[in-house]
Amino acid sequence: SWRSSTAPPSERPGERRTAEMKKLYGKDAPKILAMEAAMQLTFDRNCDLKQPKYWPVIPLKL
Amino acid sequence: SVSTSAASGADAEELQKEQDARTVLRESFLRCLLSMTSKKVQFHMHEKVKVEATFGASDIDVLNFQVSDLHTPIGVQKEALIRCQDVISFTFDT
Amino acid sequence: MQCGWSLLGPLQWLRYINREVKVRAGNDEEHRGWLLTVDPVSASVVLVNFRKGGASVQVVMGHAVEEVEVLKEADDETAERLRTTFLPQRTLSLDP
Repeated sequence: SWRSSTAPPSERPGERRTAEMKKLYGKDAPKILAMEAAMQLTFDRNCDLKQPKYWPVIPLKL
Repeated sequence: SVSTSAASGADAEELQKEQDARTVLRESFLRCLLSMTSKKVQFHMHEKVKVEATFGASDIDVLNFQVSDLHTPIGVQKEALIRCQDVISFTFDT
Repeated sequence: MQCGWSLLGPLQWLRYINREVKVRAGNDEEHRGWLLTVDPVSASVVLVNFRKGGASVQVVMGHAVEEVEVLKEADDETAERLRTTFLPQRTLSLDP
């Protein structure tokens, strides 16, 4: 599946991610977190819906 | 002591500056990715591979791009994922 | 393999914003344009070249960036165009 080579979102529990984001983005963390959540949701939804396959099948650059 | 609290105050200020900078940069980049939705994008990849596709979405870690109608050298792939590691640059028009 | 570009960090990258730059990438690519932003997650560089009625955007992936050379600074008008490049323009298109 498309998730096999990347860290699945489930490995990042919401709480830990929020703390990480707070450290990176300070007071604006909620804004960035919301934008990223929306983008990741679109990506995940599109992948579920369209079932895209990697191209090229073998990575060009390892 | 006084010196440590002064130092940590300066550190805190520096940290906040860096956080603000990171926010400006990231927000602007996310807006750029969002503006690409449904646009035709040309990808320049390693090994001199050039392909065009309709952009769908990126994951937030910028590891994969989900695209449609990918014109590969050997035909059109209706739905595809492109590994960002394979990409050198990409271009689109606003 | 990779220059220090990815390691510069937000405060350094911020200094390249609104500058016209030349970016060398991969083995044989060179891109020129106004630097709009640098993604702090991937170190990818967003370059803009204005055209009639819009802009051409080039994004160079952070892992492929070899060198970034500053050519010049944007004037106020260019800086303003850069600022609004990716802002939603619904207010303009709402009234027919």
